[in-house]
Amino acid sequence: MSTMTRKAPAGGRLVPARRRGLAARIWAERWSYVFLLPTVVLFGMYTIWPIVSGLYYSLLDWNGLGAERPFIGLANYREAFGDPLFWKSLGVTLLIIAVTVPLRVALSLLVALVLNNPRLPLAKLFRTALFVPVVTTTAIIGVVMGFIFDPAGGPVNQLLLDLGIVDQPVDFLGDPATSLWTVMGVHMWKWFGITLVYWLAALQTIPVTVYEAARTDGAGGWAALRYVTLPMLKPFLIIIALLTAIETMQIFDLVLTMTNGGPFFSTLTTEVYIYQQAFAGTTPRLGYGAALGVLFGVFTLVFAAIQAVGLRYANRVRSSS
Amino acid sequence: MNTALRRRRLGIWAQVAVLAVICVVWIYPLLWIVSASLKDSLGVFSGGLGLLPGSPHFENYARAWQDADFGLYTVNSVIVTLGTVVLVVLRCALAGYVIARREFIGKRVVVGVLVATLFAPGGLTIIPVVELSDLLGLLNSRTGIILALAGGGHVAAVLLYAGYFNRIPRELEEAAIMDGAGFLRTFFRVVLPLAGPVTATVSVMTFLAAWNNFLLPLVFTFSRPDLRTLSVGMLAFRGTNSTDWSGLAAAGTISLVPLLLVFLALQRYFVEGVAGAVKS
Amino acid sequence: MTVLGRRRFLGLSGAALAGVLGASGCSRTSQQEAVTTAGADVIRWWDHFQPLKPLYERMFAEYGKAHPGTRVEHVVYNPSEMGQALQLAFKSNQIADVHTVAGLGSSEAALVAGGWFSPLADPDAIRAKLPADSLLEGLHVFDGKLYTFPVFTPRQYTTLTWINRELVEKAGGDPDAGPATWDEFRALAARITKDGGGRAYGWIQGLQFQERMQTHVTELAMSAGAAFAIIPGAGEMGLVDPRTGDYPYASEPFVQALEFLLSLVRDKVVFPASTSLDARTARARWATGVAGMFFDGSWNIGVVNGQFKQFAGKVGVGPVPSPDGEPVLYGAPAQGQLFVSSKSRHVEAASELLARCTGPEFSRALAGYMDQVPLDLEAVATADVHPTYKRAVELFGRNVRLAPSPVSRNPAVTQVISEMKEQRPTLGEITQGILSGEITDIGKSLREHNGKLTAERERATRVVSGKGVRVSLDDWAFPNWKRGEDYTAEMYRQ
Repeated sequence: MSTMTRKAPAGGRLVPARRRGLAARIWAERWSYVFLLPTVVLFGMYTIWPIVSGLYYSLLDWNGLGAERPFIGLANYREAFGDPLFWKSLGVTLLIIAVTVPLRVALSLLVALVLNNPRLPLAKLFRTALFVPVVTTTAIIGVVMGFIFDPAGGPVNQLLLDLGIVDQPVDFLGDPATSLWTVMGVHMWKWFGITLVYWLAALQTIPVTVYEAARTDGAGGWAALRYVTLPMLKPFLIIIALLTAIETMQIFDLVLTMTNGGPFFSTLTTEVYIYQQAFAGTTPRLGYGAALGVLFGVFTLVFAAIQAVGLRYANRVRSSS
Repeated sequence: MNTALRRRRLGIWAQVAVLAVICVVWIYPLLWIVSASLKDSLGVFSGGLGLLPGSPHFENYARAWQDADFGLYTVNSVIVTLGTVVLVVLRCALAGYVIARREFIGKRVVVGVLVATLFAPGGLTIIPVVELSDLLGLLNSRTGIILALAGGGHVAAVLLYAGYFNRIPRELEEAAIMDGAGFLRTFFRVVLPLAGPVTATVSVMTFLAAWNNFLLPLVFTFSRPDLRTLSVGMLAFRGTNSTDWSGLAAAGTISLVPLLLVFLALQRYFVEGVAGAVKS
Repeated sequence: MTVLGRRRFLGLSGAALAGVLGASGCSRTSQQEAVTTAGADVIRWWDHFQPLKPLYERMFAEYGKAHPGTRVEHVVYNPSEMGQALQLAFKSNQIADVHTVAGLGSSEAALVAGGWFSPLADPDAIRAKLPADSLLEGLHVFDGKLYTFPVFTPRQYTTLTWINRELVEKAGGDPDAGPATWDEFRALAARITKDGGGRAYGWIQGLQFQERMQTHVTELAMSAGAAFAIIPGAGEMGLVDPRTGDYPYASEPFVQALEFLLSLVRDKVVFPASTSLDARTARARWATGVAGMFFDGSWNIGVVNGQFKQFAGKVGVGPVPSPDGEPVLYGAPAQGQLFVSSKSRHVEAASELLARCTGPEFSRALAGYMDQVPLDLEAVATADVHPTYKRAVELFGRNVRLAPSPVSRNPAVTQVISEMKEQRPTLGEITQGILSGEITDIGKSLREHNGKLTAERERATRVVSGKGVRVSLDDWAFPNWKRGEDYTAEMYRQ
């Protein structure tokens, strides 16, 4: 309350907060509302409205084309719960997250620690090189990766054969047993740069004086890392992991160009399945796709909440012990 | 002391060597795209992984630039992207500022709704957006594309700004108010300039997303092919039964260059901006 | 100060929004004038025939000369993106005056019922220029009104055996005819692979593109004796045995076709990367000489000739391989390709443009692009085309019979189709599963799929007839159909 009184007037008169009515309080913050206006209007039009429409579509039996779109209540949702491919796609998406998110977060932290050294020559160049895949169009990445993982003479297979790790070329993208792992690898390659930038940013928040203090205390490189840097990075872990996980949940165009969800559903992520149902099938089913989208959104929300709570809890336990 | 120093220097160069190898492997696929853009269509597939084309075929670029109208599309892409960046920066900075600094009725609702929508999958939003834009007479115009690209989402940008503004000492604003500056003047003269790094970050991220967006500009330019952007223009290279791979690679390279330039120019601020924002 | 601030604010952000909304007014975009160039009438034309672009543009130029002041604006779409583009454009009244319907996944009948199209103006002029029997109720004619007409022939298929003459000849095969039987195909593929020593394989295919694989499996099943009545555009849901009207997927020819493909995989004669290729990339790799044989439609030579000219001299073609070397395939009635939109305000001009897409002269020009085969097969004989294209068309004429179509007898079956839900895994996905080893019991998976489709069709038929539409399962059977013969327009009336 007291803070409110303190900063209420921006050029207006000072009035004690407690005595003002609702209208007066709103009036006092009129500039705040004006500042929010563009976001509220635009966001309402282009984000909230589509979400509300999606909720409505999910109650229709509609192919997205005709004028005929009968209301069928929750039938789409009932069907979704009994749809094995939907569950399969959720499993695939979760597996991708469970594998790539920790790996990407950890590996990019490692690289960020190296790149953060101010005495490292060419750091800027390396940073750019690692970021370039992020800005490359996905459409053409599919073709390049076809060559890189080619079972007939592609470099990855050549290397594995030469090293004697395998004696038969591996059909990375075409074998249901390996395709998902390959897609995960390429996905990590493509988006590694973004996570790296997050970590570099986090590292910049640690003042140089902290290191100097550690050094005068006689801490070597490893000790400084173990007892100074890493503990200070801990709060960033939650936010970076969360950003990475959300972005991974919506893995879509890469899968579409590389495998189109196949072979035999092995790389069918939820977004790809929703797209196939809503737009691509012989008979597109926008209503059903919308219902899958709503369910997926709810799952994501729950998942993110669990993750955030879990990480926070883990942090608390660790710091208290 | 001397040996320790030497050892450390050796260590650094070892790191550089390892990183250099990693980076070469890392950007190899992209070099391949550039090299494919200089090969003929059979060469793209018969050359395997070699990077050097026998004799460079610059006509792929000529084809992309003239036949596929990439000159015009580049201009459109630049206009649409810049418009989107400006609008996003402005609206997100304004919103971020009041969320960080003001206590007003309804704030919790606003923040709650923003965060909740972070998790909404995006694939299906296109149909309502088109219906709405049609209703408002915004289809077939660059303005419509810009509003739709800038209007939806960008929650992360709002939160970045909010996080950053939270850390600016209140004294600065108070000093400005003492000097007689109003709410607006304080914001535009004092607060926003301080947020340079966040603005750089948001600009780069928005630039990326807007530049590469495909479906929205496609839908908004059905009746006006002269308003199409680069990403939509790439359509021209993919037909029913065939794809002009070398032309597509050339087009991909053309559209990659501005993105790289923007990143190179802003990368220092970019990292600082994320740093400033995640800190809170 | 506040006054100044307020004004500034308006200048900065309010105007950006209010100005835009105000300036464009609150009139629907779709109600505004669609004419983009002052003074000239613009007819907008969207299709998905990338290779035919010059053909149409020449036609538009001629039309422009005959009608000064009218201009045709032509946009070519990628078929996979076109469906969504059409949906959104139709919904927002931005759709072109003339367009194709690729990727929409809806039958002509459903689209006509949905109010998408205008009947063509001056239908008699168009009828006069088309071969008799090429127009069918339910596909081109609705309620007696002509909406569209076929441009391509129904006598074609997608599983021609395209061969690399050099590799086939070296392996002792006939570079002019190609392998005729499944056994010959298999043996030849094995020899090419052996000769290739890891650098060339017997067969390459875009196995990742499961819709196309579905087509190949269906056509191979026909080469093994399966026969179909076909609802064009309905995919596997529109394919039934003409005698009984039942789904055919559990029948022996399908099992045999899949076993044939599987034997190629087991023999290790398949180009290894095939599993991750689509049709386009598979063709491009084939053109680099890494594999001897490749299944594709007549357009293959057109694309090779246009994009990989160096390779065109090495290309040969043979018929779809079959168990006994004498394949008989059944082609669905040719669908109409081009439609005039109901939203068009240039119906007459658009119809006149469409009329120019008929007749032998157009067919000959069309053949020149070596894409899909024109309606008039004889036009190809006199056209200046690659010899393999002529041979492909000859093979089509010899091997393909016209299949009956339930739509032409009762257009309401398309309502059943659109009520039906896709049964996944589809035949194409099952094929992918079998070839990748995920599915081991071929017969069982086909029987299950056939059962699911049958049950779904019964359900959909109940729903549709429950709405008072006269439709039944009998609409799918053709008692007067004869194996090995064309089902003519005449026969529908019997």
